Amino acid sequence: MSDRTPGTDIAHGVPPVAVSSTSTRDNLTGSWKYIRPAYRDRVAPCNQGCPVGIDIEGAMNLVRDGRIEEARDLVLRENPLPAVTGRVCYHPCEGACHRGGFDGAVAIHAVERMLGDLALEAPPSLPAPRTRHADVAIVGAGPAGLACAYHLVRLGYGVTVYEAEGEPGGILRYGIPEYRLPKRVLEGEVERLRALGVDFRCGVRIGADITAGELDRHAAVFLATGAHRPRRLGIAGEDARGVRDGLDFLREVNRGGRPVLGERVVVVGGGNTAMDCARTAARFGADVTVLYRRGRADMPAHRDEVEDALHEGVRLIQFSAPVAVRTAVAPQGREPLESLESMFDGGDEPRLEPRAIGLTCVRMAPGEPDASGRRRPEPVAGSEAFLPADTVLTALGEEADLSFLPDDVRHGDGTLPVNPLAGTSRAAWFAGGDLIEQPHTVAFAIGSGKRAALGIDRYLRMRDGEIGDGSDLSALRYGPEGNLSATRWTDSDPVRRASPVNEVVGFDQLNLAHFERVPRHPDRMAEPAERRHSFAESNRGLAREVALAEAHRCFNCGVCNACELCLIYCPDVAIARRDGGGFEIAYEYCKGCGVCAAECPRGAITMVREGS
Amino acid sequence: MKKVMIGNHAVSWGVQLARAEVIAAYPITPQTQIVEELSEMCADGRLRAQFLKVESEHSAMAACVGASATGARAFTATSSQGLLLMHEMLHWAGLGRLPIVMADINRAVAPGWSIWTDQNDTLAQRDTGWIQLYCETNQEVLDTTVQAFRLAETVDLPVMIVLDAFFLSHTSEPVDIPAAAEVDAFLPRRTARFKLDVDDPRAFGALTTPAVYMEIRLRQQEAMDQARGVFRDVDQAWGRQFGRRYGAIECYRTEGAETVLVTSGTITSTARHVVNERRERGEPVGLVKIKMFRPFPTALLREALAGIPRVAVLDRNISPGHSGIFAEELRAALYDLPSGRRPRIDGFIVGLGGRDVTPAVIAECLDRAPEAAVVAAAGREPRRARAATREDVWVGVKP
Amino acid sequence: MSQIMIKDRIPREELLDSGHLACPGCGAALAMRLVLKGLGDRTIVALPACCWSIIAGPYPQTSLRVPLYHTAFETGASVAAGIKAALVARGDTETTVMAWAGDGGTFDIGLQALSGAAERNDDFLYVCYDNEAYMNTGIQRSSATPWGAWTTTTPAEHPESRPKKDILAILAAHRIPYAASATVAYPDDLIAKVRKAKGIRGTRFLHILAPCPPGWKSNDEESIALARMAVQCRVFPLLEVEDGERWRFSRAPGPAEPVAPYLARQGRFRHLTEAQVARIQSDVDARWKALERRVASS
Repeated sequence: MSDRTPGTDIAHGVPPVAVSSTSTRDNLTGSWKYIRPAYRDRVAPCNQGCPVGIDIEGAMNLVRDGRIEEARDLVLRENPLPAVTGRVCYHPCEGACHRGGFDGAVAIHAVERMLGDLALEAPPSLPAPRTRHADVAIVGAGPAGLACAYHLVRLGYGVTVYEAEGEPGGILRYGIPEYRLPKRVLEGEVERLRALGVDFRCGVRIGADITAGELDRHAAVFLATGAHRPRRLGIAGEDARGVRDGLDFLREVNRGGRPVLGERVVVVGGGNTAMDCARTAARFGADVTVLYRRGRADMPAHRDEVEDALHEGVRLIQFSAPVAVRTAVAPQGREPLESLESMFDGGDEPRLEPRAIGLTCVRMAPGEPDASGRRRPEPVAGSEAFLPADTVLTALGEEADLSFLPDDVRHGDGTLPVNPLAGTSRAAWFAGGDLIEQPHTVAFAIGSGKRAALGIDRYLRMRDGEIGDGSDLSALRYGPEGNLSATRWTDSDPVRRASPVNEVVGFDQLNLAHFERVPRHPDRMAEPAERRHSFAESNRGLAREVALAEAHRCFNCGVCNACELCLIYCPDVAIARRDGGGFEIAYEYCKGCGVCAAECPRGAITMVREGS
Repeated sequence: MKKVMIGNHAVSWGVQLARAEVIAAYPITPQTQIVEELSEMCADGRLRAQFLKVESEHSAMAACVGASATGARAFTATSSQGLLLMHEMLHWAGLGRLPIVMADINRAVAPGWSIWTDQNDTLAQRDTGWIQLYCETNQEVLDTTVQAFRLAETVDLPVMIVLDAFFLSHTSEPVDIPAAAEVDAFLPRRTARFKLDVDDPRAFGALTTPAVYMEIRLRQQEAMDQARGVFRDVDQAWGRQFGRRYGAIECYRTEGAETVLVTSGTITSTARHVVNERRERGEPVGLVKIKMFRPFPTALLREALAGIPRVAVLDRNISPGHSGIFAEELRAALYDLPSGRRPRIDGFIVGLGGRDVTPAVIAECLDRAPEAAVVAAAGREPRRARAATREDVWVGVKP
Repeated sequence: MSQIMIKDRIPREELLDSGHLACPGCGAALAMRLVLKGLGDRTIVALPACCWSIIAGPYPQTSLRVPLYHTAFETGASVAAGIKAALVARGDTETTVMAWAGDGGTFDIGLQALSGAAERNDDFLYVCYDNEAYMNTGIQRSSATPWGAWTTTTPAEHPESRPKKDILAILAAHRIPYAASATVAYPDDLIAKVRKAKGIRGTRFLHILAPCPPGWKSNDEESIALARMAVQCRVFPLLEVEDGERWRFSRAPGPAEPVAPYLARQGRFRHLTEAQVARIQSDVDARWKALERRVASS
């Protein structure tokens, strides 16, 4: 295959001098190699780390290319509520982000929020085409229910959502304070669902307004009623006036109420609800103290929430637990005065209306590690102290009330066992959100709703004989441990991937030499002093252009983003661009040096043995 | 136009007439005046050439290789040590089939230092694939310089023009300078058959395996064979145009000769004088001048010398451990003549390191048979009989 | 921009063919590919003896899509000068002539011809791809071999005992218009220098560190990483020198990395003791300081 015509004047088979007439392309140097590179897109750790199951990396890649609408739509394939989760999700994706080991995790939440807000600005969705005859009932319009409804309606089903409260949203509407999640954002997201064709029936409580049996008119049922029964302190005086369930307090505030708190508020607990309570109470002008029995590092609340609370003037007392609520009696309808404490404490006067005046607390010391790996706090003898409080808000977590369930739906104490596709022990019934055993967060709830939607789709298709039982769930996950992907379920990935393998790329598989250190862009926060007096959104996210810049920080772990370093560094000119994107390796010339794989910044090239 | 000039300048004028395009050179006595004159010519515009004043003869030849490979007409000049330093690159030019023309002023090699003439520098380059043309007069120098380019570019081989140090290089003679336009007609601008060309990108000189190396050598040898005929044609063309021709060899008064002297370079002029004297005395003595040493004009010499009883070869050179080089080459060339036609060849080593080769020295070569003495020094007995080894007679050396 | 995206700065034109005979992971092969991208197809290459004499392919092949002249070991600069002279004589002042030589052909046997051409300011680009020993002949030391390195002529018991010759300073001392160092690890920097050099008339010199897996006893896939580390640990600073006077760092020198990890990834330094590594480190530090002074004062 000479590509050059031979020289003139050939005799004895040679030209007058040793002058070339052919190319080295006649040498198939690929025969030298014993290993060969292969483009194998892997999974970014953020994708696996996302409880919703979003192709975060894919969206970042599109944003970086300036294809912002496509990025928005990619997110919307998996997450019905990006404007919500961009604000309230505690972004475990960022905990998984490899950039954290370099110069700070990518602020994924801020980019998602930007995309979510973009989606809110978009024209209303057209109704999803109804392609399935079946109707599905969803009980509970919290994040799990909304997610399930969204995916089902997109899959072509008729969907009816029953919601006990007056408006859809569940915890998003009634639990999370306005300063974290403005109602208009939630409403915008719900509006999208309505536009797609989801039928909301609000003010309908199962067991009261309709029976569980009536649900069976639907082809399938998704239960997502949430957890509402608060855990109790289990100490004396707990039922006194002034001691209140924190979630109940938040619900009142979210309905527009202005509860009377007094000057001093103590919040018991270290989770996110505790922080919501503390920060909300602070906005009513109270002097707020959070009491937590372990250390700050062990608080289940997200770090940012704790910090925001502290910035807003909330005091944290660590290693302290209440052992009794101290109460006083006050004339009905009047607030107790602190000065009355001595008058009533320990006295034998009749207490017509015992009212909390504070907590007796004991100092806790870290003991042996418990099942969670955290050190179990032990009370320190003789360390009792009094902490005055006009209001005590308890935020110790909630359990589900499962009493409404028919007997044949197997359930435990406060949780409902489900299979990986959210199925309960009753064939057509599925469950998710805080009803099932998983962290009680918005993202996990949304993720479970999606799993249920896929589970219901699969169930109904199998019932109708359209598909068999053979689907391999592991291939539908983002990484071995990630959530299921609706995109993969429908096999409709708009992102071209090179021979994807469903393993998460490790930090040591990245080549960080090709990245510059660019500090993470911090969210724009309102000034703490301003925040204390306002329910306006305290975190304003990132300006769009800053969010775009933040997306540029993404390593695109495991996924080729056509940076072309493989091609640029190939000493053998064996890599070429392929028409329509991607690269082609000329294996007949590739010597298997491995430079391309070593220099790939993101671990998207794997060296494999010849013949394997 | 006639002009009195030294041999070195005759080279320069020849190069100018040939319109060399690239000159790369390094100074060495007694060559330096060639490139000094060319520098002047380039400076005042008489010659439009790129002149590279390189830092060594090795680089001079390397630069000529690069220039010639790119299709330009390239020239350099050197002498003695400089030529020896070039040796590696002479092969590059030869096997690279590059029509470079070089003037070498024959100068003895050191040590001890010598600046005077003998031929060991050029003859040591015998196997580098260069055509070698030895000159006798300044006119011949100028004419040969121009002819050399046409010869070189016809057969794609480099040509070395050889002049005796001082006897030619620094000796003034009247030289007829042909008109430039006529020379242009004789020697058009070079058109390379293959060259470095960005529009036809090729590699030259890559690794040649045993499967092809011999064939490429054979091509070179065939070009050398061809060069004999091409030189004859070039010389004839020159003669037709300018009235002078030289021949690869020249037979001078060889008709009926019983002894023929074989010479090269300026010794020839002295030998002509001796031959004339002897002929006037009625002695059947003749002369063959060898101008072309490579390719060796074997057929012409066989024709000229077959049947001559005795040939006396004067070698201004020595292959230590063997013999004078012209004599040896001639012996090889005539060896397979029929025995009755094969002359006796007597070799004489003369004039090394610039020692004068006077008429007396030549006369001694004519008169003293080698079997009489290996060292023909005054009054000395022969050291060894001729039959034992075939050794040349060193003429004019001290006992 | 977080990832340093360079693809838009790398010309797409390929003037090197596949099937060339470089070893896997060859820095010299990549160097040629990148340099030719910077020069374009109006280029003629003079190639003295070196690894590339093999890489270019045997007769009747060539791996380059530009004209190439194989020549003797010490003649890279002089043949290039001759080629350029011929082009000019024929009225072509645009074609770039490049001499492409290894460290042996540059630091050692070809230095005289290079010095001569540089002093004359002959108009060509001289590229030395430096793999720090005579690799083609089987890893013998050259004057580019760094102190402490094993080669087949500097066995581990008596490793190279002299520091690497400072070729860039030698060329700069000729006051040529442009001299620079580069590596295959930074293709954008390398190509920018090639293009800059292409636009200058006179002798231009480019010194490219080109890792050699067989000679350095390093893994094939680590060639780029090693070239990068050499820059980062300041063993091989990236410099530009204009007119022999104006020295500057062509990349803002970042914080120094230690030399030890760079040495540790190369079998040719495996025999070094901790004290010897420390000596290399102090030499590197001292040279860097001197270089900083030079840059500051120019």
